[in-house]
Amino acid sequence: MEDFFGSIGPILAATIRNATPLVFAALGGMFSERSGVVNIGLEGLMLISAFAGVVGAFLSGSAWIGLLFAVGAGLTFGLVHAVMCVTFEADQIISGTAINLLALGGTGFLMVIVFNQGGTSPDVEKFSPVAIPLLSQIPVIGQALFDQSLLVYLMYAMVPITFFVLFRTPFGLRLRATGEVPEAVDTAGVSVTRMRYFGVALSGMLAALGGVYLSMGILSSFSENMTGGRGFIALAALIFGRWHPIGAAGAALLFGFAQALTIRVPPEAVPNEFIQMIPYILTIVVLAGFGGRAIAPAAVGKPYRKE
Amino acid sequence: MRRILGGIGGALVFPMIAILIAFAIGAVIILATGNNPAAAYAALAKGAFGNPAAIGRTIVNTTPLIFTGLAVAVAFRTGLFNIGGEGQFYMGAIAAAFLGVSLGFLGFAAIPLVLIGCVLAGFLWGSLPGILKAYFGAHEVITTIMLNFIAIFLTAYLTRVPLAREGPIPGTEPVEAAIRIPLLGLGLGRANLGIMIALLAALVAYLLLWRTRRGFELRAVGLSPGAANYAGMGIGKNTVLALAIGGAFAGVGGGVEVLGVYGNMDLPFVRNIGFNGIGVALLGRNHPVGVVLGALLFGALASGAQQMQFDTQVPLDLASVLLAVILLFVTATKIVELILGKRARELVSGTRLERGLGS
Repeated sequence: MEDFFGSIGPILAATIRNATPLVFAALGGMFSERSGVVNIGLEGLMLISAFAGVVGAFLSGSAWIGLLFAVGAGLTFGLVHAVMCVTFEADQIISGTAINLLALGGTGFLMVIVFNQGGTSPDVEKFSPVAIPLLSQIPVIGQALFDQSLLVYLMYAMVPITFFVLFRTPFGLRLRATGEVPEAVDTAGVSVTRMRYFGVALSGMLAALGGVYLSMGILSSFSENMTGGRGFIALAALIFGRWHPIGAAGAALLFGFAQALTIRVPPEAVPNEFIQMIPYILTIVVLAGFGGRAIAPAAVGKPYRKE
Repeated sequence: MRRILGGIGGALVFPMIAILIAFAIGAVIILATGNNPAAAYAALAKGAFGNPAAIGRTIVNTTPLIFTGLAVAVAFRTGLFNIGGEGQFYMGAIAAAFLGVSLGFLGFAAIPLVLIGCVLAGFLWGSLPGILKAYFGAHEVITTIMLNFIAIFLTAYLTRVPLAREGPIPGTEPVEAAIRIPLLGLGLGRANLGIMIALLAALVAYLLLWRTRRGFELRAVGLSPGAANYAGMGIGKNTVLALAIGGAFAGVGGGVEVLGVYGNMDLPFVRNIGFNGIGVALLGRNHPVGVVLGALLFGALASGAQQMQFDTQVPLDLASVLLAVILLFVTATKIVELILGKRARELVSGTRLERGLGS
């Protein structure tokens, strides 16, 4: 039993670490998809931001400047997606795919230009764990939950904030309506284009927080393709969580937990690869309607044209 | 003029504009790095076609992209978005790695059998999103993305445990030399007859789509699901078939990669071959001839990039950036409208699906 309690802390801590980038990116994806723009470019947005953060911190010596760079990069490439999808009416799936490929190629390219080396960047200042007095003293779970990077605390806050913005403000109502019945929003005199730009821009900035947590929260350097598919797991969490902030965060925690188990479960019992498949399988299961169907915002994926 | 634009011109306008924009952006990037764009692009061309070894590399890079491009194009013609080329390619590859060893005793005669196994593997894997879409209403974009990862982890497991070769070197048991697809020779390096199989696959895709009743149905469902349904063509059945046939093309591609280039499967295997297949298909307007040309462009960029880095210090990742930018702009209706005026909208059909992701 001692062993059992002894391992709860580390597993919980790993779950939080794994889930944090997923929560940020999934919440970001939610703003975009709730406004009617599919964002399968989350992976790329995270990767670009992870890189930009390290560049900012490298040039300035400050992790905070790095964070600013990262959010700026996420915003910029989010806006690229918005311009392509909303203004130029390019296909949203293709634009997202292009952003993923652009992020992979672009960060590889810039690694050589900025750091004069491929692979891994030099170390920079990171957002180290900060223990919250008292809370971090709670037995078993305290240290796991409250001795984490500032970015993790920001993630805790972001879930209720997102919920509030989406469901308790006029902006959130308009955003959701834009993703369901853009015609009605248009008729009410609100610009669909504007709302979608907001949605996609927010998704870029939130995905950026997820990216920068990878390169400067967990690690303190950038390495090529370091997101390794997390943007797609975030997308899975968004769908599994039914495009709802609490649901998405819960799904991200579940997926983070599954990932945390991969280092705990002996590979002879269950091979790691099968544990890693869990998020993807669960997402297919809910999309196919087993155990309560996941239904996307009605207008997601369709460019809106004023008649 | 209008007729020309609507015909061959129409087929070329979107791809040409996307390619021109990409190379223009590329030139700005090259200038920003303090290099000469003309010199960099010349080195790129030299690296892609400058000598037999370069041409061989281009052939090796082009071959898998033809297959994954076809996998996207066939599904697109039925109005479906197959992002699952990567996973289908992996499933074909692992099938080849397995069958190539277990049918090894047949020698050269095993090659067609192994490739048939790859067709089946890709077909079955591709049919999954088709079934999920047709009978459970799960959108194929998301399911194919998820199935990519499932395929990658599944092949990773199969490569690491049941099919692992003996000894410390990772990867599956290599297939016998007799089962390797023969090299083209002529100083073309690793280029092999796989390119011929790819071209044959493009021909098969063309014949299937435009010269058979089934192909007519597949395209009819893509053009007008309502009318096709009214005419008694089962939408569900054609949805499953379109994605499964697409998967079969990607599956053979994986098999050709294993039997032609590597001789076994090891991870990391190819990367983004499925996603780049989307660019290839869209650049080629989802037509088999266009797919071959699109794959050639993508393959040439990939193989020329090293020469460019060697000659001009422009990092080879620029090629990936160019490919991504091409993909970014290839469906951008409004940009073409800005250049050509309102006529552009007539040219759009064939490059996009006018359909949302919602239920």
